[in-house]
Amino acid sequence: MVYPGALKKLVEVLCLFPGIGPKTAQRLAFFLLGRSREEVVAIARAMVEAKDRLTFCEHCGSLAEAEQCDYCSDPKRDRSLLCIVQEPRDVLVLEQTGKYRGLYHVLHGALSPLDGIGPEELKLDRLVQRIEKLGLEEVIIATNPNVEGDATAGYLARLFNPLPVRVTRIAFGLPVGGDIEYADELTLSRALEGRREM
Amino acid sequence: MSSRIFKDEGLVIRTRVLGEADRLVTLLTLKGGKFEAAARGARKMKSRLAAGVDIFTRGEYTFHRGKTWPIITGQYPKERFLWFREDPELYPYGLYLAELADRLIVGEEACPELYNLLLGSWRLLGKSGDRSLILRAFELKAAQYLGYSPGLHNCPGCGSEQIRGFGPGEGSMVCSDCWSADFISLDSGTIALARRLLEVPLHQVVMIRPSARQKNELSRMNSAFLAYHLDPGELKSKRLLDE
Ligand SMILES: [Zn+2]
Ligand SMILES: [Zn+2]
Repeated sequence: MVYPGALKKLVEVLCLFPGIGPKTAQRLAFFLLGRSREEVVAIARAMVEAKDRLTFCEHCGSLAEAEQCDYCSDPKRDRSLLCIVQEPRDVLVLEQTGKYRGLYHVLHGALSPLDGIGPEELKLDRLVQRIEKLGLEEVIIATNPNVEGDATAGYLARLFNPLPVRVTRIAFGLPVGGDIEYADELTLSRALEGRREM
Repeated sequence: MSSRIFKDEGLVIRTRVLGEADRLVTLLTLKGGKFEAAARGARKMKSRLAAGVDIFTRGEYTFHRGKTWPIITGQYPKERFLWFREDPELYPYGLYLAELADRLIVGEEACPELYNLLLGSWRLLGKSGDRSLILRAFELKAAQYLGYSPGLHNCPGCGSEQIRGFGPGEGSMVCSDCWSADFISLDSGTIALARRLLEVPLHQVVMIRPSARQKNELSRMNSAFLAYHLDPGELKSKRLLDE
């Protein structure tokens, strides 16, 4: 099929999005062509504005619209708690639970020597300084439950050992809605370790 | 006619992020050598594949031949080397062997000796014992399985048994008569150590008690030896090893 040049370009650009193949890109392109000019401009503007206005918080590495993010600047948040996550979107997911009211720290990755990510790349010395300065009661490590996330958690726990702060790791549980018989043995054994009183 | 579905036992030696939710997994398998396979959806929390396709796993895998990579359709983990996850000091040691295996093995040719060498070394690192000695034994034995020897008994230039050290440009041991200035001089104990590491079965390696000097010399020699024959390139995990 021969596309007009502008359409071809649009489909190519849409293919850059994660999970979008040529077919879906074509569908999205025709969706855009079916909208009014104002609507398409609004969509494009929203993308550019998000890109221009969002940065990472100087203190915690979360997404922010200013030097300081909404979490760091909110006086109502619990300043004795710090939750360490790998990626900015992990913060958004934890916020959606509504269960956590403390501060965050985003590592922007996990220890992965084969990809060239070591302690320096994660700026862990800055994290230690921040913990000391905040005078926290507890640090919750919420890295991913895979080898890199586990190794990072172990490394952090050792690093924080001399600090006068309680260090915890987020619990591992069974996925909600499934049957126990389908859980893998590692998840199940960790869920047993993390059991609680009823 | 080859079947579109096949099974193999394998060790996961590397994983990479692939697209939004997938992982590209490098496996060293018993029958099929080293190859990459895609684990679709393995980064999702509820994925049934995720638990079996993380690095440091030994498992039984079922594959479907895909266009670009084989697709992992089933996994049954049989062994996890949890000490690498749980002990931040051991982690780089496990990674180093995985990275070295990945670099040294090129094709999809089966090499059960290498498979068992990596499996045995990962297991051994979880027990107490001299970790760096396990790495040195792995390096020498892996090269031997791939057909390379440092020539620990005779000088390749003249056949003399009076070995003095290692010639980086020769890729092997050299005697005093064939000596040149840039060679790595080795203590006779270091040469004996290298011989023993090659001779004894892996599990006995941790019973050897070499001196710190011998271990340092062997570390240098092994690097030069591997660089000459197999050119593994810069190993990223190496800078985290406390050797
Ligand atoms: Zn912040
Ligand atoms: Zn000679």
